[in-house]
Amino acid sequence: MTTTEHLQRPPAETRFADELARLRAADTAPRPPGWALSLDAARRFVVGDPAAGVSRKFVGDPSLVDRALVTLATSRGLMLVGEPGTAKSLLSELIAAAVSGDSTLTIQGGAATTEDQIKYSWNYALLVSEGPSTRSLVPAPMLRGMAAGAVVRFEEITRCPLEVQDSLLSLLSERVVAIPELPGPDGMVFAREGFNVIATANTRDRGVNEMSTALKRRFNFETVFPIADHATELALVETEAGRLLERSGVEVPQRRDVLDVLVTAFRELREGVGGDRLSTVMSTAEAVTVAHAVGLRGWYLRREPGTAADVVTCLAGTAAKDNAEDLQRLRRYLEQRAARRHGEQWVELHNARHLLPG
Amino acid sequence: MTATDGGRLEIIGVRHHSPACAGLVRDRIAALRPAFVLVEGPSDINGRLAELRLGHTLPVAVFSYLRVEDGTHASWTPFCDHSPEWIALTDGHAAGADVRFIDLPAWHPAFADRTNRYADAELRYAEAVERLCREFAVDNADTLWDHLVETEPDGDLGERLAIYFEGVRGDATTTTADQAREAYMARWIRAALAEADGRPVLVVCGGFHRPALLAAADRPEAGWPDVPAPPEGAVGGSYLIPYSHRRLDAFEGYQSGLPSPGFYQRLWDDGAESAAAWLMDSVVARLRHRKQHVSTAHVIAATAQARGLAAVRGHRHPARTDVLDALVSTLVAEGLEERLPWTVRDPQLAGAHPVVAEMVAASTGDRTGRLAPGTPQPPLPAAVDAELTALGLDGAGAVALDLTAEADRLRSRVLHGLRVLRVPGFDRASGPRSGRDPVSREEWRLTPSDLRLSALIEAAAFGASLVDAAEHALAERVVEAGRDVAALANVLFDAVLCGIGAVAGRLGPLIAAAVADTGDVPALGAALASVLGLWRHDRLLGAAGDPAMAMVVDAAARRLLWLLEGIRGGPQPADPGRLAAVVALRDAVRHAAEVLTIDRADTVAMAGRIGPDVPPDLRGAAAGLRWSLGEPAELEVPWAPKIVGDWLAGLFALAREEVLTTPSLVASLDDLIGELTDADFLVALPALRQAFEFFPPRERARFAELLLERRGRTGDGRALLRTTVDPLLLAEAAALERAVDEIITREGLLP
Repeated sequence: MTTTEHLQRPPAETRFADELARLRAADTAPRPPGWALSLDAARRFVVGDPAAGVSRKFVGDPSLVDRALVTLATSRGLMLVGEPGTAKSLLSELIAAAVSGDSTLTIQGGAATTEDQIKYSWNYALLVSEGPSTRSLVPAPMLRGMAAGAVVRFEEITRCPLEVQDSLLSLLSERVVAIPELPGPDGMVFAREGFNVIATANTRDRGVNEMSTALKRRFNFETVFPIADHATELALVETEAGRLLERSGVEVPQRRDVLDVLVTAFRELREGVGGDRLSTVMSTAEAVTVAHAVGLRGWYLRREPGTAADVVTCLAGTAAKDNAEDLQRLRRYLEQRAARRHGEQWVELHNARHLLPG
Repeated sequence: MTATDGGRLEIIGVRHHSPACAGLVRDRIAALRPAFVLVEGPSDINGRLAELRLGHTLPVAVFSYLRVEDGTHASWTPFCDHSPEWIALTDGHAAGADVRFIDLPAWHPAFADRTNRYADAELRYAEAVERLCREFAVDNADTLWDHLVETEPDGDLGERLAIYFEGVRGDATTTTADQAREAYMARWIRAALAEADGRPVLVVCGGFHRPALLAAADRPEAGWPDVPAPPEGAVGGSYLIPYSHRRLDAFEGYQSGLPSPGFYQRLWDDGAESAAAWLMDSVVARLRHRKQHVSTAHVIAATAQARGLAAVRGHRHPARTDVLDALVSTLVAEGLEERLPWTVRDPQLAGAHPVVAEMVAASTGDRTGRLAPGTPQPPLPAAVDAELTALGLDGAGAVALDLTAEADRLRSRVLHGLRVLRVPGFDRASGPRSGRDPVSREEWRLTPSDLRLSALIEAAAFGASLVDAAEHALAERVVEAGRDVAALANVLFDAVLCGIGAVAGRLGPLIAAAVADTGDVPALGAALASVLGLWRHDRLLGAAGDPAMAMVVDAAARRLLWLLEGIRGGPQPADPGRLAAVVALRDAVRHAAEVLTIDRADTVAMAGRIGPDVPPDLRGAAAGLRWSLGEPAELEVPWAPKIVGDWLAGLFALAREEVLTTPSLVASLDDLIGELTDADFLVALPALRQAFEFFPPRERARFAELLLERRGRTGDGRALLRTTVDPLLLAEAAALERAVDEIITREGLLP
């Protein structure tokens, strides 16, 4: 293992190694077979336990975390669905780290994902020289997870071709992978206790509708929603953007009223104010990006914190991208909604509407 | 459980309708045998507590109203089998205690913003509750309550309740309303302590008030407090009405109290384990009844999931949300659009996933209360009888009313009130159907029926007089209508028919809020036109100038301004509903400017932002909108034959008069249509015809005259329009002629 300080983003079990160790040491509750922590301790790892010095890592509904953990303890897989940027992957990483102590058994789904990347492939040099053997076998995350009794993460499962998705079917119901090339007992890899799958799917892509019913049945679905509460989201954006700005060498803190306007605008554009939503994702993650950009503009162009006018410019670039319709929606928002709001920053936001391109 | 003064006073702070608290009250009454049981409830009905013990089937409620000059304040004090207050009343009486209500009457200003006496006071102080939810890592106050109380009803519950409510109260600064009530209740407690002479006094009140009452009831003080008298000239009263689980669950916001009364009824009757099983069974049964596929494997998975959730949350038996969470995990195999209703308080069930909606409906329960025979009747039936007799409507048969006559209008209002309350035997055969219906006569058919009385007793839950009851019934319909604009407009029109337009202080904001959330442009346009018409012109039914109407006009106009700017699309046939909506918006801006929060400039600017990627009819309408609002005409008529007709339809819909008074425009239209090739003309023809439909016959004739004048002829424009042949036939003939020409040319037969 490399030392963590050189990593851009170490996995959750490394980032929070200390908390996990403390939870494990104090964990007296029964653990589901194959789990590194009890359900209760795993829950506290994710939702936080201030008394035990465990930070809150996921700001969604605590009941969602309960449902997810209990699902993993049963024989069904866990499917996290939701808009992009709702922290599905973070949640799956945290849960895998809590349940198995390892969040790295991950398959990244995509149009080019093949069964090889899910189950196993071969080291062809060895295969040619020695024939099929456990030495020439290259296990993929699913096989490793089954053999080790660990949670396997399957990110963006709906981006995979349907036939690749369906290769999970027998694996999830029979809990065994056959490797016909290997003779004897090595030819069957049975899942050990503790093995399960957390899949994520985002509702903006192809969605889960195209998934086969057979596969759907093997998962419990949990929808991850954007942060419900304005104050929580504002606080999160403030901290995260603050951290990024510090790393970028910006020396002044963001103005809270500017961030408030930004977060409110994001929330309203995300909700669609009556069914007309932007086609661009307006997640908290995007809000952090925009807040970061706003801070950078303010500091490096004028040596001051970012303003509402910067928010308009950055919204145009980051949020509306090059989508003309989104730009019009944004313009309508600034013209009609922002105009009705009171407060210095809203007025400035409204006045800066001409900064939108086109 | 703190006791002061030699163990005589015990205050149990409860959450209203909590089975665990009801059980605690029952145990403490049995153990203490108190001399006095004092209950948070309206002290003005202390003389009539015997009525509550007549053997009703719960839920029932005490309905209180007070009519003052500017309206009626109505409030409910509901009881179900598992209400701690109900147990205190009944068990206390059975144990020989002197039982009294000790809170201010429902009409008191301290309740001005409340319709449910047993709303949870602590939820008005959200910060403390949120802090606790975070501490215990639960979704909201209801799950927190289940977790701390309902799942562990035994042992040291009293102490846990005390700690919980002290935590919630914290050092929150309470409102003056709460302070007034607490001071009043404390006086009763001090009086009881004086009277009890060393015997125990048990107080049952909302837990939020307990710390304050404990502090204030520090000494005995002889003399019961007076019950405040209602203000001079006000008419009021309290009476018992049947209630239902559905209505218990229907209060909004913080007033809603403990959700899912059906579930807690089971919990109270049969215990936690059986309540969980019941909820699971009834959800499955409801879903199967709706032909949703729920297999045995699903049920097994859900049961296992519920047990797992209960275990991880430390519940002995699955709690309400353990079951609901388990069901949603295992039965819904897709992403959800809306948050789960039980994770957010004050849910909007309108957009909920159908399976989720069934779950919530099952947990609400379907029990309806019944009053015992001999219960004094609520005033509504007698009030209605008196009114019917006075207006000569107590007979049977057909009644014809002339709405222009004052007396008949009164009769009509009463009949509509009864219709709105769904009292059988009052059927309208004919009459105005909407705000734009120019009918001034109504015909009714009256059929006396035995069912009337029971329907009126049920309707008495809405109010003491016909007008009040109808208003509350309509308010409930607003909630049911959700975002359905047509249904909302019907409610408003019904309010006008019932003659409660002017006092519909509640309805206006409710409907305006619902309208502000809709997305159906044609329906919104139709509703705006109708409401605007009523607000401007209706002298007949008395809705002209009504402030509630004005509020709806404003909300609808503002919403249309927003929605119209969001419409996108390529060439498509003109949509008359959409164009009518633009007209309605324009009319509102023109004629109702004084009640709008948008103005002419906003509207003109919006029209100016309508760009090229918008359907042609709307682009034409935007040009017409600006023009008809007094902006200079900047008309860039798109001459593509496929869209010109639709564009003109939009223009004509908005700016008919302006077009007719601009001969130069007529001329250029004439020129440009003349320049169309035959083929293009045939393409454009259907839409052009539709466009010119916007001119009434007389104006079409004027158009024809202008064309004649242009050609230097005089004559009757109407003659030009009067074709003896169907224009479609002419078009077909032209097409045929052209086809023949083409063939002749192709074959070289032309000389």
